[in-house]
Amino acid sequence: MMKTDKIVEMGHPDCSCFGSLPYTRDYCITCGICSSSCPVSGVDGFDPRKVVRMVSFGMREEIVGSRWPWICTMCGKCENACPMDIDIPGIIRKIRSMRDRDHVPGILHKGLDTAIQTGNNLGLPQEDFTFILKDVGAEIAEEPGFENFSVPIDKMDANILTTIHNKLVNTHTDDLKHWWKIFYAAGEDWTVPSINWEGTNWGLFTGDDDRMKIMVGRIVENMERLQAKHLLWPE
Amino acid sequence: MPDKNVLIIGGGVAGLTAAIELAKLDCHVVLIEKEKSLGGHAGQFTCKATDECAKCGACIVEEKIDMALSHANITIYNQARLAAISRKDRFAVTFFTEKDAEQSYDADAVIVATGFQAFDPVDKPFGYKRFEDVITNLDLEKKLRHEIEVKRPSDGITPEKIAFIQCVGSRDSSVNHLWCSRVCCGSALRMANLINTRNKNTEISFFYIDVQTFGKDFQFYYDRIRDRIRMIRAIPGDVFRTPDGQLKLEYYLPSEGKQIEELFDMIVLSVGIIPVGTADGMMEKFGLEQPKTGFPDEEFMRPVAGLFAAGTSKGPKTITEAVADAGRVALDVVHYLQKQ
Repeated sequence: MMKTDKIVEMGHPDCSCFGSLPYTRDYCITCGICSSSCPVSGVDGFDPRKVVRMVSFGMREEIVGSRWPWICTMCGKCENACPMDIDIPGIIRKIRSMRDRDHVPGILHKGLDTAIQTGNNLGLPQEDFTFILKDVGAEIAEEPGFENFSVPIDKMDANILTTIHNKLVNTHTDDLKHWWKIFYAAGEDWTVPSINWEGTNWGLFTGDDDRMKIMVGRIVENMERLQAKHLLWPE
Repeated sequence: MPDKNVLIIGGGVAGLTAAIELAKLDCHVVLIEKEKSLGGHAGQFTCKATDECAKCGACIVEEKIDMALSHANITIYNQARLAAISRKDRFAVTFFTEKDAEQSYDADAVIVATGFQAFDPVDKPFGYKRFEDVITNLDLEKKLRHEIEVKRPSDGITPEKIAFIQCVGSRDSSVNHLWCSRVCCGSALRMANLINTRNKNTEISFFYIDVQTFGKDFQFYYDRIRDRIRMIRAIPGDVFRTPDGQLKLEYYLPSEGKQIEELFDMIVLSVGIIPVGTADGMMEKFGLEQPKTGFPDEEFMRPVAGLFAAGTSKGPKTITEAVADAGRVALDVVHYLQKQ
């Protein structure tokens, strides 16, 4: 049996504070397959089944103040396994949106502020960004079979415009090479914008709709500016 | 009622019971069964008695088969299928017998006792059909009927650790089965107890949502056996096979607040009871549309006078519930026939 740490006076359950969500969490039959499927359940005791119950019981203060909603990676495996089609990542995002922005975990909060000010989560200046892209491109061109490779920055009328995950121009530059090589081998007509290239939208992950829209709008501007036909937005 | 004819579609425990009850009242009964043998699903179930009767009802089936086979008023056709049915004053029925011979029969009433089908768990994340040692509760029923000590399918060894996973395909909106199948908690726990009684070294883990204790005395049985079974209140997430042929189950253990990976020798999925559809399109022949859940109930059959349904064709039931229901339906049929 589970131990009881303390007894909380619940009063009458009222979950109206969470607003309307797609597929009401009240359909939850507490089967626990979400918690069993979750790749991060058990981290700090994280239990998606309990998150859904806490929302159903209207435990706003407890769940909004908890670390649990921030442990979730929003991968969606729970929702896929759920027999009642409950949108658990949607619930998590809603909970995150209800926290004061100053209390959003540091890296996400600062990263999003930086992105709004500079166009990317790292605050990487445009000339540094293009230098890194060209440098990685030059490394590829040294490999046999890729002698003519170069990175098409701000190319007009390309078939594909691709965004960049900030870690790929920070700690994981080698990961850029794999798909760039595929583009080259496939003869793809592609481009990377030199500004507002950030593909990681922390407005989405922190439940900040307004700033999520700003970030999305900048990508739309890039598409229009460069007249690209298709958007590739890897995240 | 010596001048009355009744057609029964389905030779499971409900069809047999209705046949016997009507035959006792001198009705003439024709029973058609699509399989080679009578008894339906329940006919393959094992007795789950340990030092005392577990009240599973499996023994009732053989008794009903014997009674139906020996009754002069009952004619049984195995491997038969319905060809055509229509109704004016009576039902004009034609069906194919085992040897594909067409047979005609005029019936005053028809009972649909076509039973259920088991949910196919192949699309659930539990490795069914991919790993030999993942079986269903129906597979286990058959095994326990033939094996004194249960053996795992892949290599015939006696499993030391068995996991039962409940509610596979029941209470599941993603497959449109919102109902509880009612019988699986009881039958799985009885089988778990039987395995553990026959071999004390076999550890049973029971993954469940909430134990459905249908029946007035099941709670007492459950209270008696639950300390011998490891009860874990969560449905597992994934099943993998290790290189040495064991099954690795991933699940969240609520009592510890931890994600666990644990090895098992065999996994039993308690699959849901789902409708069989409409007995060779018979309902459509009467202009009845598909019932909402797929299980036709009394209300659904009402527009066609003389058409009845019995047993699990109407929804999940235990063996004893199916027998009781078929007895009551037989009485309804008699009341109907008296008014004709």
